[in-house]
Amino acid sequence: MAPNAADLNTVKPEEQELARKREELTALETELAERELRSANLRAELSAFECRYLHFVGSCYSELDEWKAQLAERLAKEQPDNVRARQAARDARVRADESKSVAGNKAAEEPRTFEATGELKRLYRDVAKRIHPDLTADRGDRAKRQQLMMEANEAYGRGDEAKLAKILTGYECSPEAVTGDGPGAELVRVIRRTSQVRGRLSEIEAEMQELLRSDLYQLKSRVQEARENGRDVLKEMIAKVEEQIAQAKSRLIDKRGTHPLDKGA
Amino acid sequence: MMKTHEKPVQKIVHAPAQSLAVRSAALVSRGLRDLARDSNWLVKKVFAGRASHLAISGTGQVCGITSETSKGAAHLVLYDIESTAPELALAVPKQSHACPADSPARFAWSPTSRYMAAAWEGWQLTIHLFDMHGKAFLGEFGEYKNFPKFLVWSETGKYFGVTAPAGKKVALWLWKAARHGMPISGASMSRVGAPHGIEPQSFGEGFAEEGAFLGYGRCAFSPDETSLATVAEIQGEWADDLIVIFDVPTLRKRDLLQVQGHITDLTWAPDNQQIIYCAAGQAYRLPLARMEFETLPFGAELCACHPHLPLCVCFSAWLKNSAKGRLFLVDLNDLAILDEYPAEGVVDLRWNLDGSKAYAITQDGLAYIYDPPLI
Repeated sequence: MAPNAADLNTVKPEEQELARKREELTALETELAERELRSANLRAELSAFECRYLHFVGSCYSELDEWKAQLAERLAKEQPDNVRARQAARDARVRADESKSVAGNKAAEEPRTFEATGELKRLYRDVAKRIHPDLTADRGDRAKRQQLMMEANEAYGRGDEAKLAKILTGYECSPEAVTGDGPGAELVRVIRRTSQVRGRLSEIEAEMQELLRSDLYQLKSRVQEARENGRDVLKEMIAKVEEQIAQAKSRLIDKRGTHPLDKGA
Repeated sequence: MMKTHEKPVQKIVHAPAQSLAVRSAALVSRGLRDLARDSNWLVKKVFAGRASHLAISGTGQVCGITSETSKGAAHLVLYDIESTAPELALAVPKQSHACPADSPARFAWSPTSRYMAAAWEGWQLTIHLFDMHGKAFLGEFGEYKNFPKFLVWSETGKYFGVTAPAGKKVALWLWKAARHGMPISGASMSRVGAPHGIEPQSFGEGFAEEGAFLGYGRCAFSPDETSLATVAEIQGEWADDLIVIFDVPTLRKRDLLQVQGHITDLTWAPDNQQIIYCAAGQAYRLPLARMEFETLPFGAELCACHPHLPLCVCFSAWLKNSAKGRLFLVDLNDLAILDEYPAEGVVDLRWNLDGSKAYAITQDGLAYIYDPPLI
């Protein structure tokens, strides 16, 4: 409702400014929540893809690297005076151990894909609007919000709507969040919050760009694009690596041992 | 009176970056790379324009002379085959004479690629040493009168050799590397002239006579660092070069073999028992026990043996019936050719430190990376 002339006379300039700043902050908070949602969504999608990739392809690479390490170790054993062969065997063992620790042991259960429901997105948006750490200047409250935001991100990645709802209802507003001490002080707080929100928006943009430039995103895009054309790229990758595993196995069994490459490979 | 709620201005401290786990990065980029692979060779443009005297390191760095940037003046530049790092110019303080990019230059990378030795007409008449970790000029050694033909490090970096056109006496110098500080410095520990019975042609006396010894050219230390094989270059279009095997570090001549034609490259097999060399576009094998060359069933101008497997990567600029060049692998056990790939204009070849990849480069900046999944 528009203020009447009498009201206008009683509204102080700082209160008018405060109203404008609050309006601006509200719009920015909405934008922040939306951007955080997009960022969380991208991270969750990539994280789920990473899990699937490591489960299906990473485990194959890990097995291949183990065979390669065994091959290199046998070659080094056959040439005890060859420093390079010994070094290559050590390097191959390190690589195999690294691959194993990254890919882990293949779990019996297939990792799930990530798909956010409308409700999940709505809850995340509300959480981001309500408890985002950049919406407070109070150190204690900020730490609490950071912890909750981390939990919210994890819950979003898991698609855990119940947890998000719990975070939202369980959050107690800190005293800092309560307005007080007059419009001047509030104006300062609103300006500071606005500045913090703007800073965070820039950060989100940078984080998103980094994710979009990552190898993981490139790989995910390639897989997705191929799927739209009816190809299962992960399956093709597995087949290729399994072929290499078979070659490595047969070479290890080969008594000649020094046969370096499979002919016609 | 308006009172602000005076709290100390807090610097915004953001939550820890919510980036994805980087531990999987190696497996992810490996998958991405394998996805694009349709052969064991990858081709990559490393630099634009042209560069000359290119030399590849065991870590995939390439140095060369170019005049493509820096106001057209020729300068020493460093590229990286593996990364997208921008090219880096290397300079020697107070020594930049203007000279064209195709003026003589020689480079040699230390085995770990930590050091790079260089000689260039644009500098003083000495070998210049760079620390490639700090990308810094370390110092100089080995003053010369005739521009060097070849610089080479031994397998573990223990020795460093330089060949040059025959002067009145010396044509091959050998240094022993220091463990600390500047790896090569001071005077050489051994030096040697023309092989016994071959008359040297003094450099600077005008045209050499047909059949005269021009000096030593390409050379390579055996992997066990007990021998040095070098090419004794003989004047004349139809003349035949010699391969001379010296003991290291005494530089006592042990063997000498006359080959057919002029040698363009030579490399030791990892067993220390045979040398693969290329002469007049043909590849040969020289088993040291017999000291008789064996013509191999393929042509090549460049060759590099694997550091510990019986494999050799070769480049041939001309393939019979096609006039096209190719890169290929040779299994030294049965001389079978593997993983052929069309290639033109390759000027240097090298295996990486652990022998898991091989690199080749052209003057136009095209790099060929041999990256088989199983090696």
